[in-house]
Amino acid sequence: MDLSSPPDDINTVQDLMQDVWATAPNVEMIDRFSFETALVELAANVIAHADAGLGISCSLTVTIAPDRIDAELRDSGQPGGDLDLDNTEMPDGLCESGRGLPIIRALVDEFHYDRVGLVNRWKISRNLRS
Amino acid sequence: MEYTLSDHGDGVAVLSVAGRLNMVTAMRFREVVAAAVADGSTRVAVDLSSVTFLDSSGLGALISGLKTARQSGGDLRLVAPTEQVQLVLKLTNMDRVLAEYADIDAAFPRG
Repeated sequence: MDLSSPPDDINTVQDLMQDVWATAPNVEMIDRFSFETALVELAANVIAHADAGLGISCSLTVTIAPDRIDAELRDSGQPGGDLDLDNTEMPDGLCESGRGLPIIRALVDEFHYDRVGLVNRWKISRNLRS
Repeated sequence: MEYTLSDHGDGVAVLSVAGRLNMVTAMRFREVVAAAVADGSTRVAVDLSSVTFLDSSGLGALISGLKTARQSGGDLRLVAPTEQVQLVLKLTNMDRVLAEYADIDAAFPRG
């Protein structure tokens, strides 16, 4: 799936996932909730932080295998820099932001970022519990 | 996201939300809670039974609403969160901060 923000937004990604789940009735609800939540946080992070004012173009691929779900998101935004995705801390108390990356980390088994040429490449994978 | 706001009496507003409370809708949610509190309903019960999805932006809006209500001497309490909402609350440890109740009368018992 290719999307451009604006006008596409998180709802575009969630609408896609509704279609994906319709083709995969064997995936348990907890895996659906968990993977979709992680993917939405990832896409929201890209839209919110990678846009230098010219909008973002993204390419999203979701693959469901018998034992896992994978997503690869490529975006045209600003470089992510030296992100340490394995050490994200959940904010305490009444902070209103900063929970996106820790939520992703908690819900997937693999979470990778790298810069490929002029494109950011994000990968998440969740092993299916069922 | 769709919502209805109703007066439950005794300074209690019931905000019933349906659909996705996410990056797209979070700002609207903040505005609705702020307006309700400004109108004197400092105790806000947020009925989440029809919310299909909550993300960290939506969670931030709930926290914002909680702070707004408390600053006016009230509170914001969650009613009947769905499974995905409970997952996000628990994962972020916000289930310790945002109290969950089975129904509106349990959230704000009538005096």
